[in-house]
This record gives sequence, C-alpha cells and structure tokens, in this order.
Amino acid sequence: MTSLSSKMSPSSPALMMEDDPDAVTHVIVHPMVLLHVLDHHTRRQEASGRVIGTLLGRRDGKTVEITNCFAVPHAERGEEVAIGKDFNKQMLALHMRAYRKEAVVGWYASSALEDGQGDLIADTSSLIHEFYAGEADEGDPIHLVVDTRLKEDAISVRAFKSTPVVVQGEPLANLFHEISLTMESTEPEAICLNKMVKDENPAPKEGEQVEPLLLSMEKLYKLLETATEYVDSVVEGKITPDAEVGRQIADTLATVPRIRPEVFDKLFNDSLQDLLMVTYLSNITRTQLTIAEKLNASLGV
Amino acid sequence: MSATVIEPEGRINEVHIEGLALMEIVKHCHDSLPSMVTGSLLGLAGNNGILEVTRAFPNPDSGKDDEIDEDFQVEMMRMLREVNVDNNCIGWYQSVYLGIYSTQTVLENQFSYQTELSPNAVVLLYDPLQTANGNFAMKAFRLTEECVAMKQKEKNDFIKPANIFEEVPVKCTNAPLAKAMIQEWTPTSDIELDRLDLSTHSYLEKHLQYLCGWVDELAGEQQKFQYYTRHLTKGNNKTKASWDTSEAPKRMESLLVNNQIQNYCDQMDRFAGGGLGKLFLAGGLHKEDGSS
Repeated sequence: MTSLSSKMSPSSPALMMEDDPDAVTHVIVHPMVLLHVLDHHTRRQEASGRVIGTLLGRRDGKTVEITNCFAVPHAERGEEVAIGKDFNKQMLALHMRAYRKEAVVGWYASSALEDGQGDLIADTSSLIHEFYAGEADEGDPIHLVVDTRLKEDAISVRAFKSTPVVVQGEPLANLFHEISLTMESTEPEAICLNKMVKDENPAPKEGEQVEPLLLSMEKLYKLLETATEYVDSVVEGKITPDAEVGRQIADTLATVPRIRPEVFDKLFNDSLQDLLMVTYLSNITRTQLTIAEKLNASLGV
Repeated sequence: MSATVIEPEGRINEVHIEGLALMEIVKHCHDSLPSMVTGSLLGLAGNNGILEVTRAFPNPDSGKDDEIDEDFQVEMMRMLREVNVDNNCIGWYQSVYLGIYSTQTVLENQFSYQTELSPNAVVLLYDPLQTANGNFAMKAFRLTEECVAMKQKEKNDFIKPANIFEEVPVKCTNAPLAKAMIQEWTPTSDIELDRLDLSTHSYLEKHLQYLCGWVDELAGEQQKFQYYTRHLTKGNNKTKASWDTSEAPKRMESLLVNNQIQNYCDQMDRFAGGGLGKLFLAGGLHKEDGSS
C-alpha cells in the first residue's frame, strides 16, 4: 500500500469538541473516488454551481475507507435543496448488485463556483448532510469536499463530519469540523496511476520490453549514487552525520544477501537452464502449432 | 439495446481510455478476484479513428450463466445519463486469467457486440494477476473483418488462428482536472524498482501448466477431426459439403486453442527474454562485487 498524506490545513482548535470515543477520526480515500468527483464536476449542468454524490466504502472502528462513489443529481436555489432521492435509492440498489461489500459512508461535493464567499461548505450543506445521516448505515456520515475552484495551484481534498449544536435541548445548527484524510492506493491502483502519468508524457518509443528494465536500472543506479555521495561527504566531514540515516543505510546494506560464488554460480546456471528450457519448449510447441494449422486448413478441401 | 449508436466513418484504429474508466475497471476486476468478471464501456467513437472510453461499469455477477443481464445494463445507462455521463455503449471489458482470452465465450460475445451494436465495438481485456511488478496488463481486442464475415456465413471454414482477433493499441488520456490531480497525487513509491524482481518461477510454472492443458485440448480436437475424416472415407462421402453439416466437428474450437497457445508461447518468450536479461544483470553485478 502506498499512502500520501494530504495537505492538511490546520483546523482551528476552537472547533475541536470533545469526541465520543467511537467517532470517526480518520478518512482514507482511493484515487478513483477523486477522479470520479472531478469527472462529475466537469459534466455538471451549466446552471448548477456544484455537484454532489454518494460515497461508498466501509467503516472500521475510527477509520472510514472510501472506495467507491456515484453521482446524484440535485438542485439548489437559495436556501432550498432538492436531492434525487429516488435516483440515489435506485443507483444504490444497482451498485449493491455488483459490489456487495460496500455501504454508504457519506457524501461528496465539489465546491461552489459562483459567489466569492470562499466557503468550502455552503449553507445548504447541512440540509444535504441531514439526508445522508439517514442514508448512511451507521449514521454519522462523512462529507468530502473537493476544491475545484483552482484558486491556488492545487486541487485540495478535505473531509468533514458534523456535530449538531444543541442549545437547551433544541438543535440549532450543524457544525462541520475537519478530520484527517489520506489518499491510499492499492498496488494495482498505483500501477494504474503510474500508467496515467506515463501516457500523459509519452517517452520516445524504443524497444518496448528492454526500456522499462533500463529505466529501472538507471533509477537504482541513481539511488545508489545518492547514497554513496551522502556517505562520502559524511566521511569527509562535510555534512554532520545523522544517526537515523546511517542506521537505515546499514539496515539496507544488511539485507543484501551474501552468497558464496559457487552457490551463486549454481543458482545462476539453474535459472539459466530453466529459462532456456522454457524457450525451447515454447519453440517446439510453435512447430506443432504450425503443423496443426496446416492440417486444419487442408480438411475438407 | 436501447442506446443510440452514432456511426462514425471508418474503422477505429486506437482506443483512448480515460483514467477514471481505467480505475473503475481495475477496481472491479481486483475486487472480484478470484472470479473473472465483465462490464460495459461507455464512450464515443470519434471520426478520427479514435475510440474514446470515458466510463465503465460492472455487470453484476450473475452466478453461473454467462448471460449478460441486459436489464441491469439498460437501467445503469439510464441512471448515468441523468448525471450527464456518455450514454453510448461502445464495448465491454473482461478480466482474464494470465492472458487466457481466446475462448468461445469471448468470441461469441464480441461477435454479438460487433454485429448488433457497432462494428467498432472492442473488448478490453484486463489481467489482474499480470498487473504486478510495475507492469500494466490491459489490451484491447476486436474480431477481424475476415472473422466476422466468416461467422456471419455460419460455415465451418478455416481461418488463420492469428487472424481471429486483432489488437488495437490503448492509450490513457485524462481530463484537465484529473491531470491537475494526478500531478499532485502521483504516488512517489517506486513501482519502477519492482521490475527488478528476479523471481520468475511461479509465473513460468503456471504458464507451462496451462500450456500443457491447452496442448491436450488441441490434441483432443485433432482426434475429433481424425475420427470424422475416417468416418467420411468409409462412407465414400468426400464432398466439401459434409464439413458444413451439424455433426462435423467445429474448426473454430481448435483454431481458438491454436491461437491461445500461440499467445502463450509469445508471452513465455517475452517473459523468458526479460528474465534472461535480468539474470545476466544480476550475474554481472555479482561478479563485479566479488572481484572488487
């Protein structure tokens, strides 16, 4: 698993309230969800400022993992909100047929474009949040806001949950406060992202299979060089040594297996023979195939 | 299918897939392991020979039968249309196990897509197990015109195994906002170094194992032909027409197996080639290490 921590903005301590022990404190989001929100935002109705949708995933103690989502049509006019409740219900039913393990954990919104208030959470958000409180399996839904205004040179993603403010037994308002968020991707997702980046900046095409290996080797070489440089400059006294880095280098070196030459030669030759054998077998098979093909072609002629 | 089909001019020669659709396929295929699953692709075939895939959604796993649940598909597309997603089915995807794709099911499915939906329909084959160690295994295939024509005639004819399916190059594209996102969120973890993994055995073992199975099957098919030919000679009935009767063994079966084996050989060769390269690299490193 690779994980990246998001750029957290320091949530103001004034908003911190004493939490009940079961409250969600951390949110993990998968890249697909973000891509989906962005795509949905791009395809929004011309008139509507922002888009919303349902987040699916699972809750494990204090952590919520968001693995999937779908768009829900909605309309806002001033203080009023209309959410496609039937749509949400039907879509959820469809989703459940394909992904049985996911449950509703909250909702997402892209941030509103017009009105220069600069708020990530609009006034109507608490109404929508109330709706999702009824939809989420365990109550206490998560609200994910993807900042698509591009005011800064970044797309920031934030997660919120809400607490009702109760004054003398009367619910007055909802208070949204931020919880920590990280983006995690599984190995295939990481490979997928990598492919997306790579296709974006196409490298000059050469031998397809050799090139990646070459790249990998160059990378390894560079890493080794950096490490060597660091060690050299420490030895020469240019840099003050950092015990932590030193320990890590030592640990890494310790994982390099020491193999005696004769053992290595045996290993080397065994693998070589295996590989050559496989190549040989595949070539024999090809010959047989050609014969089979010819036979098949001559049938019934 | 209720989808409106916009017919482009000419055949497409490249598939562009958006990151979102790619992720959806990858997620669905991995979540459903070990079972192999299918789903639909939405998008648009442009006039410039490019098929754009913008969304994908899974088919519910319907148990044993291979029938695609059409109600689900239609319903899902109707729902997606409400949120302005491209409402145009342009093909389907399937997860495959170690590159086994040349099967009757894939052939029939793709044939019905290409004849009923659009001649430009493609199937994206994603291999969840080969997507590891820094390699991404997704390919787009369709039937060749020759193969479609042959299947339409419903004759038990011969076609060169390599000409049944043809591959279409796949490229990944991203919307501007998605680009902005991946610039910021690109995983820094090094899948590049994963490529240096030296273990090749389990992969090749599995391949050889399957290869044996396929060769057996091919032999079985050949035997069927042999019996039938003998049967024909006995009855002095050597006309070409007797190969088109219903009791004649189907050639397609054996041709598909043939194609599959060919592919396996290619995969193994490629893998063994890469393995040899890495092995000599490791050998070279070790010798230098020992001499210094």
